[in-house]
Amino acid sequence: MSATQTLQDIGRLALSWLAVCAAAFVLLRLMPGDPVEVFLAHVNIQSGPDIAAEYRAQWGLDRSIGAQFLRWLLGFVTLDWGVSFETGRSVAAEFSARLPYSMAIGFGGMALAVCLGFMLGFYAAHRHGGWADRGSRLLAVAGQTLPAFAVGLVLLWVLGVQLRWINAFGGGALERILLPTLLVAFFSIGSIARLTRAGFMEVKTSPYYRTALAKGRSEIAALWHHGFAAGGLTLIAGLAPELAWIVGGTATAEIVFGVPGLSERVVQAVNQRDYAVLQPYIALVAIWIMLVLNGGRMLRKFWDPRLV
Amino acid sequence: MKWGLPCAALVAVIALMLLIGSGRMGDPHAIDLGNRLAAPSLTHLLGTDHLGRDLASRVIWGAVPSVMAIAIVLAAGIGFGVTAGGVIALGPRPLRQAVSWLAETALAVPTLVTALVLSAAFGAGVWSVAAALVATSWAPYALASAALFDRARAEPYWQASQALGVSLPAALRRHMLPNAWPAIGALAGADAGRAVVLVASLGFIGLSADTGRPEWGAMVFEYRMFLFTEPRLVLAPILACALTTVFLHVGFDRHRFGPR
Repeated sequence: MSATQTLQDIGRLALSWLAVCAAAFVLLRLMPGDPVEVFLAHVNIQSGPDIAAEYRAQWGLDRSIGAQFLRWLLGFVTLDWGVSFETGRSVAAEFSARLPYSMAIGFGGMALAVCLGFMLGFYAAHRHGGWADRGSRLLAVAGQTLPAFAVGLVLLWVLGVQLRWINAFGGGALERILLPTLLVAFFSIGSIARLTRAGFMEVKTSPYYRTALAKGRSEIAALWHHGFAAGGLTLIAGLAPELAWIVGGTATAEIVFGVPGLSERVVQAVNQRDYAVLQPYIALVAIWIMLVLNGGRMLRKFWDPRLV
Repeated sequence: MKWGLPCAALVAVIALMLLIGSGRMGDPHAIDLGNRLAAPSLTHLLGTDHLGRDLASRVIWGAVPSVMAIAIVLAAGIGFGVTAGGVIALGPRPLRQAVSWLAETALAVPTLVTALVLSAAFGAGVWSVAAALVATSWAPYALASAALFDRARAEPYWQASQALGVSLPAALRRHMLPNAWPAIGALAGADAGRAVVLVASLGFIGLSADTGRPEWGAMVFEYRMFLFTEPRLVLAPILACALTTVFLHVGFDRHRFGPR
């Protein structure tokens, strides 16, 4: 890949990111409720117009929307993300305290799902129609049809109450994120297993797999050694959208189990119309999704000799 | 048999509407504090909740937001999607590029995040949920139908219809849509299921329809402290939601619409 092409790609991505942020900025300003009034009603201040105007000026809401956006953009790039309208604390500080929880749940869950799903998909391809094949199909359908909060409540009930293995709310940090991690993993294992299975199944019809069998390798060894690359590449292709969607997946998990993560704060901010929290959140999510989708594409180009 | 399950779904929805309309299901809001947490009986098929409200009628009324979301998603998602697919396949070049860029971007946006933002902007409710679903669900229809249109355009029967002077809308209806339907049907089933799950998830978070109305996710949230003492209160809406999505997935399965 040439340098100019890389630069072009980066420029295109930056432009898309700007477009998403600007669209969200305008959309949030279209909200029917005025955040100043919501805030004043919330803290019970008997306010005159002068106090409202004071807050409006303090939060920068008295300027034109273009000026507000430019000011926000400059702040975001220099890591000055402003203060939350509602709590008055720095948004960057709040996010950096909460982000580790969300990342632990999201990445932990995905890592677990990739490990288990890959093995399950491999066995499903190895024994076509066997327990792994049927089980992974069931998991994939369950992941699409069951609401996450329902599965979360059942997990809580079984592991936390019936078996008493986990102290979900009172335990240490590790105990608190264990159940949400399992929940995130549960919703990805099925689709990851089916993707991996598809990659390995393709190998089973290929001549080099038959050659390996003819040379006397066992079925399982031949499929593992000669199918690993194909299974892995199919997985990477399917994993990128899965990783992009994880943002929504962690939200439900955090709320069901009361984890003080990023998404939990965002849901609060939605109810309080706290633009100052929502705007950097959207910007971060947009960066994450672009990173994942383009990272996946580049990884495949790097590993797959057929895609040059 | 090809239309068996979708027809059954339609009949079920109509039956549901008639049941609600006829007033036979009882009032889901009627509070009866003398009859709290009653066990299932003939008068209360699933028993009553902590305020003495009839659980069965609350579960059935809870279907209303989901059915509305499904209807909006299917109508608007397929409508926008197939139109955009037609633009990508047949439109002028700059428009084509713009629409396909938009579709690829929309494909990457998480639905729940969109729903959160829209609920923030326009208030929580079925309409925000439906708008979020439409905003993210039209893209797969657009890309799939554009690919199908492209393939069909190379077929001899399409060229023959052009040579015979058939008008574009008539040719689209006669030659394109029957080809596009199997793929679109399968997508629609998955989307309808996702609509039900999303409405319930947002209801659980507290961002769906207004809290007074029965809604499956909001019911689970309201009854969550009874999970250990009266599990039927939590399980009834969860089961209703799961059964609906499974039914939709199976009903719209690709094989059912594909050519035999």
